[in-house]
Amino acid sequence: MVNQTLLVVPIIISPLLFILTSILSSFWPGTRPAPVIRMGAAATKVNLVVALYGIMLVAIYGASEGGTPELGGLGLTFRLDPLSMLMYSMIALLGFIIIKFSRNYLDGDARHGVFMGRLSATIAAVQFLVLSGNLLVLFLSWVLTSLMLHRLLIFYPERRRAVVAARKKFIVARLGDLSLLVASILIYLQYSTGNLETIFKAVKESANLPIGVEIAALLLAIAALLKSAQFPTHGWLIEVMETPTPVSALLHAGLLNAGPFLMIRMAFLVSHSIAAPVLLIIMGALTALIASVSYMTQASVKTALGYSSVAHMGFMLLVCGIGVYPAAMLHLVSHSFYKAHAFLASGSTVDTIRASRIKEPRRTGNPIKIAVSIFFAFLIYFVFSAFWGIDHSRDFALLATGAIVVMGLSQIIAPALDSDGYWISVVRASLLSILVALLFFSLESVSHYLLHTQLPELIEPNTLTKLLIVSVLAVFAVTVFIQIIAPVVKHTIFWQKLGVHFRNGFYVNAFFDRLTGAFDIQYLSQKLK
Amino acid sequence: MGNYINRKTMLDARSVHSIMEDTCQKIAPLWSLENFVAVNPYWGLRDKSFEEAANLLSKTGGVQMTMPVSFYLDAVRKKEISYDDLENALSGYDEFEDVSVHDFLKQVERESDANRPRRRVALVADVAAQLTAKDWSAWMIERISGWAAAYFDKGQALWRTAAPGQDIFTSWKIETLTDVTPYIMGLRGFGKALKTLPNEPFQAATESIERLQLTEKSLGIYLHTLLQRVGGWSAYMAGLDWDNRLYGGEQGHLLMFLSALLSWESCLLDSVQQPDLKKHWQENIKQLEEIGNEKQVDSLLGHRLILQQAYDNANQRQLIQQVNKANTKKYIPNREPLVQAIFCIDVRSELFRRNLEHVSSRVQTMGVAGFFGFPVEHVPIGHETGENQCPVLIPAKTKVMEVIPEIEAHQKAVKQRLLHHQVEKAWKSFKKGAVSCFSFMGPVGISYLPKMYTDAFGLTRPVPHPASEGIKYGAYQQADISLDVRQLNDQAVGMSMEEQIEMAFSALKAMSFTDHFARIVLIAGHGSSSVNNPHATGLDCGACGGHSGEANSRVAVKVLNNPAVRKGLAQRNIFIPDETLFVAALHDTTTDDVQLLNEEELPESHLADLTELKEWLALAGRISRSERAVRLLTDTGKDIDKAILRRSKDWSQVRPEWGLAGCNTFIVAPRERTAHIDLGGKSFLHSYNWKSDEDFDVLELIMTAPMVVTSWINLQYYASLVDNKNFGSGNKTLHNVTGGIGVLEGYSGDLRVGLPWQSLHDGEQYQHLPHRLNVVIEAPIEAMNKVLEANGIVKNLCDHGWINLLAMNEAGQITQRYLGNLRWTSVSESEKGALVA
Repeated sequence: MVNQTLLVVPIIISPLLFILTSILSSFWPGTRPAPVIRMGAAATKVNLVVALYGIMLVAIYGASEGGTPELGGLGLTFRLDPLSMLMYSMIALLGFIIIKFSRNYLDGDARHGVFMGRLSATIAAVQFLVLSGNLLVLFLSWVLTSLMLHRLLIFYPERRRAVVAARKKFIVARLGDLSLLVASILIYLQYSTGNLETIFKAVKESANLPIGVEIAALLLAIAALLKSAQFPTHGWLIEVMETPTPVSALLHAGLLNAGPFLMIRMAFLVSHSIAAPVLLIIMGALTALIASVSYMTQASVKTALGYSSVAHMGFMLLVCGIGVYPAAMLHLVSHSFYKAHAFLASGSTVDTIRASRIKEPRRTGNPIKIAVSIFFAFLIYFVFSAFWGIDHSRDFALLATGAIVVMGLSQIIAPALDSDGYWISVVRASLLSILVALLFFSLESVSHYLLHTQLPELIEPNTLTKLLIVSVLAVFAVTVFIQIIAPVVKHTIFWQKLGVHFRNGFYVNAFFDRLTGAFDIQYLSQKLK
Repeated sequence: MGNYINRKTMLDARSVHSIMEDTCQKIAPLWSLENFVAVNPYWGLRDKSFEEAANLLSKTGGVQMTMPVSFYLDAVRKKEISYDDLENALSGYDEFEDVSVHDFLKQVERESDANRPRRRVALVADVAAQLTAKDWSAWMIERISGWAAAYFDKGQALWRTAAPGQDIFTSWKIETLTDVTPYIMGLRGFGKALKTLPNEPFQAATESIERLQLTEKSLGIYLHTLLQRVGGWSAYMAGLDWDNRLYGGEQGHLLMFLSALLSWESCLLDSVQQPDLKKHWQENIKQLEEIGNEKQVDSLLGHRLILQQAYDNANQRQLIQQVNKANTKKYIPNREPLVQAIFCIDVRSELFRRNLEHVSSRVQTMGVAGFFGFPVEHVPIGHETGENQCPVLIPAKTKVMEVIPEIEAHQKAVKQRLLHHQVEKAWKSFKKGAVSCFSFMGPVGISYLPKMYTDAFGLTRPVPHPASEGIKYGAYQQADISLDVRQLNDQAVGMSMEEQIEMAFSALKAMSFTDHFARIVLIAGHGSSSVNNPHATGLDCGACGGHSGEANSRVAVKVLNNPAVRKGLAQRNIFIPDETLFVAALHDTTTDDVQLLNEEELPESHLADLTELKEWLALAGRISRSERAVRLLTDTGKDIDKAILRRSKDWSQVRPEWGLAGCNTFIVAPRERTAHIDLGGKSFLHSYNWKSDEDFDVLELIMTAPMVVTSWINLQYYASLVDNKNFGSGNKTLHNVTGGIGVLEGYSGDLRVGLPWQSLHDGEQYQHLPHRLNVVIEAPIEAMNKVLEANGIVKNLCDHGWINLLAMNEAGQITQRYLGNLRWTSVSESEKGALVA
């Protein structure tokens, strides 16, 4: 780690410009706020340039840090390393699109300026978060992102559901803040510094985590779970389409990532901990499963996307728990771009449906064909993993991650193979699945190559964790298998009822509704004033 | 439940059924976003007067049917409404006979818009809400709407959880019995109450009515309120019933839904933990009876209705003055035009037609409903079902296929599309499946980074255009329509010669276009181009059932260019000269580009003329764009053509064009009456010459079809404007497409009907004003009266203040105003003022 304050500081220009945009918006809060829009657009362009600068800096000097001098191990320290620059550039790329989108999308809104200002402020907060070089900056920006987001969630304060969602979010977020705060204090007490680099070094050198840090790691995991709307605290996330679409794009592609990001940032602590990975695996897998099934049952596009995000966050945290951080990071980046696009393009749903009145092939329900599909998926996986030189006996964690990919691949091939459609569609589906496998292994390698300096070595999980992972894989496998055969089995009332439960997210949100008085008339009328 | 006090007033099954059916008739239909046709949301109340409907809806749904008083007072201040307009409006009311305008305004100003508590019909949910301080109504809407979206889902969810094979009531009942939410909300007995209701929907409804102890007098208004509460989904189901009535499918969707809602209410009554509820509910039933009996219009509402009338008077006065003044000089059209261009009656055509005629005096334009009298079902390449390309009031008559003329290329395209769809389906199950979505995301998700950028800069569409999806661009460019008669999937497609001749004959008749054919006849359908816009089809041609008019224009041209058809027409005394060539075109209303569609088929002989025509069209497009830019573009000084084109490809654009905003007039007359008038893109124009309409059949057709459709469009805009909460779809930035059917505003709530706020208001001012449609027809009064007499629905619309009917004389002067009941009056001198001035 190099201390390069002079070289590092320019990276702060970009969040400062966003803050400036936000300040400017208080002078042009209303309709058609031309100066705010111009300033916001300029900030996003500068951001892209600054991101490029940061990448070059890291490429030349390696990980660097800089900022104010640290007093007692605390200060405004910013850290430029492959991880933070990856996150930073990702946000720059997203920010550019989201700000551009908001310009026309909110045109004519009576508080367009306010919106641009709040959007900018939130982007700035996320940037500080990913750049944080010590616990103080990390904690402050962590809280700040949440507070900034809150102002976006209640952009239309007269909307009942917006207020309810913001309130649910507020409760969950404060619990998360508290976890992070206590974790930070525990870590600080142990190492007498807030500087991340110093802490990481100390952790690397020690064989086992001191008990205080072990608890801290667990609290960090809890903070991450709460930040990323994991089951059963996901209710607020699926309701936040009560605020304009660009907010959803920014939230799902940016802010929500703070959970997995925290785990990857603190990977040295988390992976050395005993309890944190277990918690991540259990909660992550549970959320991933429930939310990804719930997603399939949603009839409204934005609600569906909300569940999808919950599921993917769960999956990332699961992968963090397993310890394959590069895969988690790849997932994080990919998901961000995908989800931002999905939200911004959610108005196109009708086009997709208009185009779908085409004769569909019938599924034949041939068990041999289904078995072949699954076998073929395994084959692709083993060929690739052999080629990439993965040692199955040693790299248990990689094997587990790979197994999930296989399951997915069989979902491309089976519907094509087990149907009365064109045979060429089977060829295309197979080619696609090979391509997906190829991309997975290449991109995972790239991610590993980029981040290996910031991440611990892959650790062999202990027996308990292994057992846990195997159970998760088994449940996932059953889920996939059910989906493959679902189109050809008879739909009983049992499935209909199960579907209703899934669509309602197992009623967790209904409990939260009751808890927060979502339908309470007095509370709302007070709140709305 | 033994102790019914008023057994005598209980209802028998038959009257329950008929009241339920009557109530269902009160709900106007709604079409899905796939073909978002404009609907008059007051359609079910057309047998009532505007005032009565306003009064009723304010009680059943809290619906506003006028703007707030301040809006009108503002118009008075700005002199948009004159004292005469007000006086005329007041004179229609006996109770205001002696009230001067001045006093009236004073009184109205005093009242302002203070929210005086108005009597509203309360459901069990509302009574319970008052007692428990919980919004049971919002909760009910959320639950029911969630089920309905899943049940009617057109393809959003991968796992269809509401068993679309079951009927509405069964599916709803199973779902509600499964749903744990009522229990969580503290309604312990909800499930039990529902379980004991019969499974047969109508029996469940009767039983519920009994449990609710509703009386004959209270039932009607109660049921209306109930349907109105979930008005969006009710309207959607009314729409399904509507289509099934036309095409012979099963009806009764809405009736079943009403049974479900009734069951919900009765279960709520039995399960809310509040001992006083039943007592209060009994009192409420008495109130329902009283409200149901009340005929008197609330005075505040009454005043606003008068102000609205005055506002309409003002608008009418201006129209009359403008038209009459312009027609003091006789406009002499070019009798020997090179091109006759036929456009849709759409208000957007008015603007383009005017500019096209300005560009060249050798072009004459005409207006007719944009399906050009060819109601076809159009089956796109590789599709299983077609789209009905005709007004929703009438059924499509024949099925035509989209084809690529070269047979091999066609088969290739079909295969391509099917294959694409099959792979797409496999891919979708991978991308969206539980667990498999995780293996999708890591490797593939990152490809959305470049996609996001190309989409943002308008280089790509977020998803392919439905018309060309899955087919190579080159092949799609050649797509045409085949009229050949053959069998397809056990159904006959194509048009026989007799059919072609018959349709051609009635189409030409409907346009009053039976002689004086020019060398080129352009038939221009219209469509729009916007991306990422859930309401995109709402900008397409309403006369083509919310689709682009391309298919209809192609069919019309194919038929009319066919020598055999012309021979058949000649036998029926329509002689189309050999040198007359029909040319199909598509008018893109977003960009004002007009493209010829059948160019490759056009003969050498007409090439030079066509080249000239294309130049005129291009120039007219440019002028039209700059005219529209004033309303559309906020930052001027840019290249207008580019700016408008960019808008049409911008995925973040919430106002790609203004659609029909501003529409307030429908003129049925020969073009020479309006050709020299700038009607500002706010008038529907139908060409009609009564002198060649022997039995006034065409007049009847126009008054029963296009006139009703224009009124639907006008009242859709009106209703969305004056009450966007109930009859509009709210804020576009919050839209959440549900089931591929419609939008929710935000996370939950009812399906939204009508237009988004962004389509009515630009952030600074209204782009549509609350005017009821003025219909100006040049035809003898007796002829119009005859049509009205024979068509009750049309008469209702004109008698009851939904449409203002005006008559134009042979000199192009608007001289008579329809008063209702087949009575007419002369347009007063003051309104004709411009004549003097």
